[in-house]
Amino acid sequence: MPKTLVLKLEGVFKSFARVETDDVTNAVADVNLSMRNGEFISLVGTSGCGKSTILRMIAGLISPTAGRLTINGVPIEGPGPERGFVFQKPALFPWLTVEKNISFGLRMSGHTAENGERLARIIHLVGLEDFKNDYPGQLSGGMAQRAALARSLINQPDILLLDEPLGALDAFTRMNIQDELLSIWQKKKQLMIMVTHDVDEAVYMGTRVLVMEAHPGRIRTELPIEMEYPRNRSSALFVEYRNRILEMLHYGTKER
Amino acid sequence: MTETNRGERFLTMTKSQLLELEREEKTSAQKRWDVAVSLLPVLCCAAALLEYGCVPNKYPNASPQRYAALLILAGGIWLLLWVWAIMRYRRGDKVRFRTLRHHAPFYAVLFLLLAAFDYLTLKTGRLLYPFIPWLNDIINAAAADWKSLLVSTLFSLRLLFLGYFSGAASGLVTGIACGYSSRVRYWVHPLIKVLGPIPPVTWVPLVMLLAASLFGGSVFIIALGTWFSVSVAAMTGIASVDRAYYDAARTLGASERQIVLHVAIPHAVPNILQGMTQGMSSACISLMIAEMLGVEAGLGWYITWAKSWAMYNRMFAAIIVICMVFNAVTKGLDLIKKRVLRYQSEVVQ
Repeated sequence: MPKTLVLKLEGVFKSFARVETDDVTNAVADVNLSMRNGEFISLVGTSGCGKSTILRMIAGLISPTAGRLTINGVPIEGPGPERGFVFQKPALFPWLTVEKNISFGLRMSGHTAENGERLARIIHLVGLEDFKNDYPGQLSGGMAQRAALARSLINQPDILLLDEPLGALDAFTRMNIQDELLSIWQKKKQLMIMVTHDVDEAVYMGTRVLVMEAHPGRIRTELPIEMEYPRNRSSALFVEYRNRILEMLHYGTKER
Repeated sequence: MTETNRGERFLTMTKSQLLELEREEKTSAQKRWDVAVSLLPVLCCAAALLEYGCVPNKYPNASPQRYAALLILAGGIWLLLWVWAIMRYRRGDKVRFRTLRHHAPFYAVLFLLLAAFDYLTLKTGRLLYPFIPWLNDIINAAAADWKSLLVSTLFSLRLLFLGYFSGAASGLVTGIACGYSSRVRYWVHPLIKVLGPIPPVTWVPLVMLLAASLFGGSVFIIALGTWFSVSVAAMTGIASVDRAYYDAARTLGASERQIVLHVAIPHAVPNILQGMTQGMSSACISLMIAEMLGVEAGLGWYITWAKSWAMYNRMFAAIIVICMVFNAVTKGLDLIKKRVLRYQSEVVQ
């Protein structure tokens, strides 16, 4: 069993200075959350509600204006390889081959002993054996995102942060990668936190769905999804969950 | 063969087979025309030889066989290439012949121009000798003085590369530092901005006065122009790195130093190579001017020296050598660029 890991956000605020005026944008206001390994958290909400901001704070790419983010009680300071991040754009380095992109994290941390074996396993996991010597410019959107996923997984992160990783993909590729992500998570039981626009995806994948509202960005509801995997997208329960979330999102915009 | 079996072969085609398939089939008249055109350079070479050998000379022409040998060599090379291309064509590789056919009209006209030039100089003197010598005269001059030409070439190359590489190296350092660190940029960028637009040769008089040696001074002037191009290019390249790459690298555990080495610099490589190409042309200009003004060696010096003794044929010989050397250097840089940037050319269109 993997060791327990608890990620806590306590009274987290994040405001951005605006470029033109003297105002600030309150992207995230008073967010309190507790998440642990083995959970798959789906973050949904209208655009501009601060979903990505929360993810970037957990990654350590930006720091909160106020509040505390801790992992097992230790405050988060800056990014680290134990928190993987998959961006909406794959952001693969165009000058490196797929294989070199995927092994980037290993080379940065100076692991050399187990490199070859772990690398081959991860490349196999995402099905890119035939493309490992290609450059990212030659890959389709789905393959590029698989490579980006593999690049984060190579560091064996305890937390995997997914910022709409499937948003730009076609429906079939998206469903395939959803299942791949679920099987990776079921094997390793990391803490996965995924931002998405797609309510279907949120319900299909998450153990818990956090619905956010905008201006300022707050957590409106936490909704545990009590369904067995693999989930049936057309079952009555699934549809009910989806409708409830859609209603909440609609209500959230009307109130503004 | 059944219908499906015939279809199967399309699945295992190579790229060249596909291109061949998609190309329109040529008629036999077109093919005959292509063969004729591809042999035109040989024909024009023969015409140039005839003109050179049969039309009476206006001036005495020493060692006439040299230019003739050069023409025969050039025509012979074309003929050999042609035979080789035809053999490849018979074996199904049509690309070589097509390339040859593509270049044939150009080389044919080139041979005709050589003949016309010979006619206007050696045969009729329409272009005034000795200011414009005929080609055999230039070859004779080069042959008579090949030792000094070679030494001058080596000297020029030494100066060029010393200046170019020290300029490129220091340009890389300033460019990368300015691109990545805003504190360095604060202090160094104004310097680049002010010094940059001044052509490096402006400093020649001052450098001649101050530098401990003319050679060192020339290295400095050549380096200056290269330094400017490379540092500006590297700076732009690094400043334009998409933030997403930095974010990705940081979440993958890269340290600040590793981000510079593994993200910022590789990202700037296309810009840097562009700057190095620009720097090379600026370095070549500076080299010539430095050699013509002060340094008493090198091809630039050779040209002014030959001119001052009214040995125009030697001057032209040196100009031809310069042309060849600079072309070779640029071509070399181009090859490096293609190799390093191959990831860009392999992008799916």
